[in-house]
Amino acid sequence: MNRVQKARLFTIFRYAMLLIWSVIVAFPIFWIVSTSFKPDWEWHAWPPVYWSKEASWVNYRAVWGRTQSPRATSGEKVATETARYESHSANKPWQALWNSLYIAITATALSVAFGAILAYGVSRYRILSEIRMFQLLVLRMIPPIVVAAPLTLYYSAIHLMDTALGLIIVYFITTLPYSVWMTKSFVDEVPVEIEQAAEILGATKWQAIREVIFPLIRSGIVATFLFILILTWSEYLLSLMLSKVDVVTLPVQLAKYEGSDEGRVYGHQAALAVGITLPLMVIGIFIRKHLVRGFTFGMVKR
Amino acid sequence: MATATIAQPKGRRSTRARGVRVFKWSVLSPLILLFAFLIPVFLLQIYFSFHSWTVYLSTWFDAEYVGLELFQEVLTEGRFWRAMGRSLLFAGLSTLGCFISGFILALLMYKPFRGQAFFYILFILPMLTVPVVIAYTADMLLYEKGPINGFLSYFLPGDLSKFTWLANPDVAIFTIILLEIWNWTPFVFIIMLAGLSSLPTEPVEAARILGANRLQIFREIQLPLLRPVIFLALILRFLEAMAEFPKTWGLIQGGPGTATETIPIYLYFTTWVSFDISKGAAMSYVVMVIMIFIVLTAIYVLRREKRALDALHETSRAEA
Amino acid sequence: MARIELKGLRKVFGRNIEAVKNLDFTIEEGEFVVIVGPSGCGKTTTLRMIAGFEEPTAGEIEIDGRLVNDIDPGDRGVGMVFQTHALFPHKTVAENIEFGPRMKKVPEETRKQQVREVADMVRITHLLHKLPVECSGGEAQRAALARTLITDPTAFLLDEPLSSLDAKLRREMRAEIDRLHEELKKTFVYVTHDQEEAMTLADRIVVMRDGVIEQVGTPLEIYNDPVSYFVADFFGSPSMNLIAGKVEGSNGAAAFSGAGIEFKLPDAYAGVSAGDYTLGVRPEHVVVGSQEAAFSCDVQLVEPLGKDTLLYFEHGAERPTIAVIEASGRFKAGERLNVTFDSERVYLFEPDGKRVR
Repeated sequence: MNRVQKARLFTIFRYAMLLIWSVIVAFPIFWIVSTSFKPDWEWHAWPPVYWSKEASWVNYRAVWGRTQSPRATSGEKVATETARYESHSANKPWQALWNSLYIAITATALSVAFGAILAYGVSRYRILSEIRMFQLLVLRMIPPIVVAAPLTLYYSAIHLMDTALGLIIVYFITTLPYSVWMTKSFVDEVPVEIEQAAEILGATKWQAIREVIFPLIRSGIVATFLFILILTWSEYLLSLMLSKVDVVTLPVQLAKYEGSDEGRVYGHQAALAVGITLPLMVIGIFIRKHLVRGFTFGMVKR
Repeated sequence: MATATIAQPKGRRSTRARGVRVFKWSVLSPLILLFAFLIPVFLLQIYFSFHSWTVYLSTWFDAEYVGLELFQEVLTEGRFWRAMGRSLLFAGLSTLGCFISGFILALLMYKPFRGQAFFYILFILPMLTVPVVIAYTADMLLYEKGPINGFLSYFLPGDLSKFTWLANPDVAIFTIILLEIWNWTPFVFIIMLAGLSSLPTEPVEAARILGANRLQIFREIQLPLLRPVIFLALILRFLEAMAEFPKTWGLIQGGPGTATETIPIYLYFTTWVSFDISKGAAMSYVVMVIMIFIVLTAIYVLRREKRALDALHETSRAEA
Repeated sequence: MARIELKGLRKVFGRNIEAVKNLDFTIEEGEFVVIVGPSGCGKTTTLRMIAGFEEPTAGEIEIDGRLVNDIDPGDRGVGMVFQTHALFPHKTVAENIEFGPRMKKVPEETRKQQVREVADMVRITHLLHKLPVECSGGEAQRAALARTLITDPTAFLLDEPLSSLDAKLRREMRAEIDRLHEELKKTFVYVTHDQEEAMTLADRIVVMRDGVIEQVGTPLEIYNDPVSYFVADFFGSPSMNLIAGKVEGSNGAAAFSGAGIEFKLPDAYAGVSAGDYTLGVRPEHVVVGSQEAAFSCDVQLVEPLGKDTLLYFEHGAERPTIAVIEASGRFKAGERLNVTFDSERVYLFEPDGKRVR
């Protein structure tokens, strides 16, 4: 076999493998999207319905729509059929969405702002030694469940239970290793000479940072922010334990769609799940080049 | 000129050094305050692991002192050690699975080809889903009358609408391992892809000139150069898998029976379902000690490999 | 115009890495001083202490009589050109040059005027709108020079500014820097590991080694009158022939022997006590094809360099002995020749590296 034939064979092999994996990856995603458009009688049908002929927005309306609003009840057939699931849907997803947004964005912003300042100090002045930096990783690597019980009791005692502030604090702490390490990897890439050049030209430290460092790491900070937003947005365990009613976030809200007698309410869950996941995927694809850096604490760059 | 005579007042610190110190502590002090704020958590944990208390008792501060009894109970409990074994099995097998599939994908994709960007975006989607969403999706897919059974019934004989992926205790643990692999293969994939594409090309070319074949190049050149990246991927994945909670809990709550009860699940169950706070606290301690041991080992290895990794980045940058 | 005085300057990194040990030196106004030495000799650390990026562990730095130890780099009135040009990658060349005056709140009109002037001075007017990535190495280094020039510093600190350029550009930029020094008549402190740069640029050369000054002098002094084996070996290309051997006195005259060489030392060395020494002679002072012979040896290699030709002799010394002769087809490899040294131009070094005077 000559080189050309070998190369052609490899190409065929590559595409075959990639297509198989594509199916594995895409099928579950396809299924949840497809289910979110199915009417309730198709949720549990055998043989399964892959492509609903009666696709509609009914599940989305049930989950995200305001049930009392005139549009949802304007005589459409679908509205009556989903009426029996509506007890648990009254505006809760919107509340959860707001909680998720508010908590995730605040915690992430704090974490990244603080992390970036700390990272700058570490990169330029070694205000944390290398070993301290690695010790910081312990915050992320110990499963949060091991401190969960006393944390809950402590939060109850100091009235942080079921508050946004309580969740923001724990998210801030658990994401700090990522924000410090990731932003540090960006600061490290700006040569010290550039900063020193600014200083010797008469810039103050603050001017050097504002004029030179910040513009050069801005896109890195945005990437870090979005990466950590992904983490906080999808966090489940801590939110499950530290929230009860007021600050239920979207991942926890998802668990509330358990029908009592008819099994799980697949369509509604699917509609909610698509709503939760879609922004995440969009953000993730947007920062796809920086995901490696994020997940490996900046140790692997591209 | 006698240098000894130069005035060098003791303790003189220049303004720059002082500036750095002020900066350092104004950054670190809020952090330290925050940790101080959380110290009571650990004190409570100590208290509860030596006092027997559940929510069914009245006030927590007059709970009975029981010494090391709770620790003894945890350490001699078969259920705890089975959960530990299951966690290790889960983390070990899923890490291996993620690694194999992720590495193969990376090897297939690290050189430019038509459609590379498309496949890259598609393949990273699983890790951009909310884990608990995966649990619910899996429930829909693996349900007896779900699409997986429906799909397989085209190829396999018999009525597959009765096959249970989740209700069968022997199968369930492997089902959640498969879920973990589906979820986190992209993690290994992107790391290995980055590692492979940042490899310096010169050693590979040199080896080819010296007559090495593909396999030899892979074994002798690429694999050793990739070692730090491989370690990094394995360690981080293993640690995250040890902490896996949302998928397992969202899907089967450790069931059927205790068939998928890993350490995080059992801890959660003890504390939030049985409300046995004290036992949960003692168990947390045991787990924490074991995990700290694992994590410190991991950090030791990570530190070593990070240096190798930085050296690798250095060479590939020098080449570029 | 600045006179820079270094008094008892010392720098220790970490616990015990002593990069600079007790430096006393004065750089006069308008002087072009080149600090030269192998990597790790402390030359860059010294320059960075003058700039203010490193804090001296001990000692004082005075610029025009003003103690600057506690003064920020930007307020010392010095300008610095870095090895990697260190242009701000997100700003155009014009914005880069404008940076200094802007930080000092110079009005925009004046600033623009100044930018045009310095750009003209280093001939980069056509690059002003470009980003640093769009400039070649030489252009970027010119832009970096312009950026420093505009702040009108009293002294220029240059940290191996040419080391990332290729040979031809390096010569061009070297001439450029020389011209700037002529025009501006300011103090230049230039750090390099390249002895050729040092020889061509410097008014005075400071040779550093292991954190101390080995020798200070004009390029010719350094070349013709090295104080040590180290300096002798460091300067000159091809470098000085250094042959280890013994000196023995007989009848009041000393003779050197070693590596197949028997050489009668000039009278100046008559009083030298017997023992191990190293004989040094520059390639241009090796005489070939003469009547008398320090040694006879086959020509191992003939290396024509255009104007000159190098002859290599392998006679058992650590390195082959090299002779520089005017180019001609006279000698061929393999030919046996008599070789001797110009008696007036041989050096003798003690085992500890000091030169015998």
